[in-house]
Amino acid sequence: MKRILSLLLAVVMVLGLGSALAEIKLDYPTFQVGVNTAAPVIAQLVEEFNALHAGQVVIQVEEIPGDANYIDKIKVLLNAKDLPPVIYGAGYNLLDLALASDLLVDLTPYVEADPEWQAMYNDKALEVNSRDGKIYGSSAEGNTIGYFYNKELFEQAGIAGPAKTWDEFFAQLDTLKAAGITPLSMDTADSAWVTSLWMGALIATSGEAGQAFMAQMMPDDYNTPEVIGALEKIQKMFQEYTTFDAVGGKYENAANAFLSGQTAMIANGPWMIGDFSDTTKAPEGFADKVGVAIYPEGFAYDEPIQGYLVTRQQDSAVEQAAVEMVKYFTGVHAQTVALEKQGMLPASTQVEITQTAKDNFPLLAEFVVALEGAVIRSATTQATMYPNLLDIMSAELPNLASGAMTPEQFAQALTEGAAKNK
Amino acid sequence: MTQRPLTARGDSGLREQRPFHARIPAFLYMLLCVLVALFPILWVVMSSFKSNAQILSSAVSLPTAYSFEGYRMALEVSPILRYFFNSVVITMLSTFLNVFLVSLAAYVFARTRFRGKNLLFSILALSMVIPMTALMQPVYQVITSLGLADSLPGLVLVYMALNMPLTLLIMRASFAGVPASLEEAAYIDGAGFMYTYFRVMLPLTKGGLASAAVMAFLNAWNEFTFALVLTKSAAVRTLPLSLSYFTSQFSFNYTALFAAITMAVLPSILIFAVFQEQVSQSLVIGAVKG
Amino acid sequence: MQRRQAGWIALFLLPAVALFLTIYAIPLGITLYTSLFDYRLFPNRMVYVGLANFAQLFARDAQFHRALVNNLVWILLHTTLHIAIGAVLALILYKKPRGWKAVRVIYMIPSIISNAAVAMIFANIYNPSYGVINSLLKSVGLAGMQRNWLYDPATSFVSVTMIWTLFSGYNTTLILSQALSLDSSVLEAARVDGASRLQQDFLIVMPLVKHMLATTMIMAATYMLQMFDLIYLTTRGGPGVTTTNLPLMLYKTAMTENNYGYANAIGVVIIALGVLFMTLINKLLRTRED
Repeated sequence: MKRILSLLLAVVMVLGLGSALAEIKLDYPTFQVGVNTAAPVIAQLVEEFNALHAGQVVIQVEEIPGDANYIDKIKVLLNAKDLPPVIYGAGYNLLDLALASDLLVDLTPYVEADPEWQAMYNDKALEVNSRDGKIYGSSAEGNTIGYFYNKELFEQAGIAGPAKTWDEFFAQLDTLKAAGITPLSMDTADSAWVTSLWMGALIATSGEAGQAFMAQMMPDDYNTPEVIGALEKIQKMFQEYTTFDAVGGKYENAANAFLSGQTAMIANGPWMIGDFSDTTKAPEGFADKVGVAIYPEGFAYDEPIQGYLVTRQQDSAVEQAAVEMVKYFTGVHAQTVALEKQGMLPASTQVEITQTAKDNFPLLAEFVVALEGAVIRSATTQATMYPNLLDIMSAELPNLASGAMTPEQFAQALTEGAAKNK
Repeated sequence: MTQRPLTARGDSGLREQRPFHARIPAFLYMLLCVLVALFPILWVVMSSFKSNAQILSSAVSLPTAYSFEGYRMALEVSPILRYFFNSVVITMLSTFLNVFLVSLAAYVFARTRFRGKNLLFSILALSMVIPMTALMQPVYQVITSLGLADSLPGLVLVYMALNMPLTLLIMRASFAGVPASLEEAAYIDGAGFMYTYFRVMLPLTKGGLASAAVMAFLNAWNEFTFALVLTKSAAVRTLPLSLSYFTSQFSFNYTALFAAITMAVLPSILIFAVFQEQVSQSLVIGAVKG
Repeated sequence: MQRRQAGWIALFLLPAVALFLTIYAIPLGITLYTSLFDYRLFPNRMVYVGLANFAQLFARDAQFHRALVNNLVWILLHTTLHIAIGAVLALILYKKPRGWKAVRVIYMIPSIISNAAVAMIFANIYNPSYGVINSLLKSVGLAGMQRNWLYDPATSFVSVTMIWTLFSGYNTTLILSQALSLDSSVLEAARVDGASRLQQDFLIVMPLVKHMLATTMIMAATYMLQMFDLIYLTTRGGPGVTTTNLPLMLYKTAMTENNYGYANAIGVVIIALGVLFMTLINKLLRTRED
């Protein structure tokens, strides 16, 4: 009898231990797979995290190739109130959407309990990831963006270096054009990333009102002199200074125009640096011809983008594990990995720009130096505008470019689009 | 009808021997259709051998060298082989079940009378016009509550349903085309409902069955949205998803993309061609019997 | 016999009805119901507004008017021109000229390629800098006619239309399958009567395949009513709203504006149009069984 009892006890203990040891599974859908430049970074972090928490927590990656596919799927899950424990808000403002349905975990107590984590937040990071004084997100990416130029083409046209003012910049465009060189890479499709970078830079440097506009989250009114002024210049850029296929072109077309030496400048972030030495995309030795600069009038995009969010789960242990994952994925180590592998500048000033990163991406070191001269900094327009405006940009930019639409009408179209979110 | 031997010349019972010049317009039309249809696939195959820069700089040029680098990268970046296998299983299963089960209803709609028939048919046909965007959310919830999320039966069920209205239409038209005398004869001979359907009617609609199967196959083979929304794990994901691995917001690999498309499409063309041949064989036999 | 059949009829209908109930009934209900609400995700609210969404659509929404007109024009072109292209080929192949089997398979190839790839191919055909059309124009000395085909408001609609008009393989396959299963004695009798080739095609073959013709027309109409990816992947409805249609507008309204009530009102319009076209086509070709 005693033996049977002790055996039973042992069984109960093993079972109890087993359930205490049961691994928590974190489903993590991500678009950072395939050719996405962050794919190797995420793969490494997942592997490290799983090894670190072996037996306790395991991240199960669900690959969702394509950013738009990710958003579509997350919206379905959001409507079904069936979100995975961790989602990535980047660029599509999932924070407000999920918060509107009360599906997010307030990270404030966790961040405040951990001085190291708290130190990762600067004012800007706090702003993009907080609502009503509560922290909901944690950023990993700095989204620091300037533009690249082709030194060889600049030399051919007799231009010494990047312009300090817009007047000088537009004079350079004329000089390049006169030398038979197409000055700019631009695009309109897929939300017009390259073009909107020029647009934002023009708005941000048009005085205090322009800076205030760029600092707004989800602006409602685009009928301002600053925006219209920027649009006038964008219209001119399309009509005079870019390739024939910029209208309707995707990022790929714009990138190819620059990489093949057809155009002299492209606005884009440092994650593009790797492409300059990729011989399937650019000719041999192209990387040596590229220079990097901040925008005229001392402007640079430099604001962390909305980061990782933890969603409410039935099992609080899953929530805890999700918080751990977010902490790990946005910590100093994770941001250093992204910096060294992807060339992504960090969200936090706590992260040192390592020598390895500078060796891996020589242009990055150059960019970091140039950044010191930045006197105006802001987020990109794409990170702050209502997501439905991205489609309007793509649909209406061809009309702006062809002159079928005036800058005023274009600004009005954006304003009307913004009003649809009320 | 006179029986004709199934020899190479024999099955050309309808072939007219007309003077050459009278056949020129038809010949030109066929040629045009072939050219229009071949251009896209040839372009895809050509592009799979070009570099990214070549693809984005000259649409019509021929590749300068034939390297299989794109294919290597495609296999490395995306789980295309795995997805291909899943696609074959899911598509075959859903196509077979769809055609088998929906034909039953199509027969009833084409050949029997019962109260409310037209109304019921109209309601079922509504499935064809419910927008995909409206389907996405509720179907996710239904499949999840049935416990079929991220499972093979889940996708099979959805693909059976997605092709339901089309199969219903095609098969109803096929059954409607069968002369009533054949069916009546079966009943007079004392055949039951099931016997008449499986032994008399179904064999006479092989052409329709094959067409419905082809449509159902291709629709399921290329379906993207539900494959994305209803699955998580690589074990049930399908081929169309693999093509998204090669373009992301700030990065692209067109060479690998076109290599992947080539790998995805060539076997499907082969499956289709073999299938068509089977179909036309059965058609000839069916026609002789008729 | 009627009484004995009732059980069989019910059994035969069961699978199709079950598929409808699991997959389509709920979305259909949700679409109809929520179209009467101001229903949004962000800001989160759901307020009953009666027919206000429809009033807004028809009375004030210029984008909707354009989407509706575009959609109707596309349906019209697809049920006529697109089917005619495929039907003519079917009538030629039906005579089994040399190589007809190969042509039948080849013409189907573009339909086997996924729409994601087709969109990319056409982006390259139309690309203004290096695309196929502009390169051809330049080489024959017509550089002045070069355009940005997809993104010039004057040509975008036609350019998008061409993406799906020429590839009519589905229709050829369906019509051909029906024509081949016809009793060839009918044609032989006609030939003896001295009917010309054209008379044979249009007066004898076409009427005999009208059930299938109606099916292809319904397929074409509903395909166009649901057309989304080929537009989304090329012009995304632009420039402006020149190539927007109803599903594209529905998708944007739901997925980027989070305005589900209004989106589903568009969904109801799509469903209503679908019913209208199916009824019209059935009336036109009198294929209803009674």
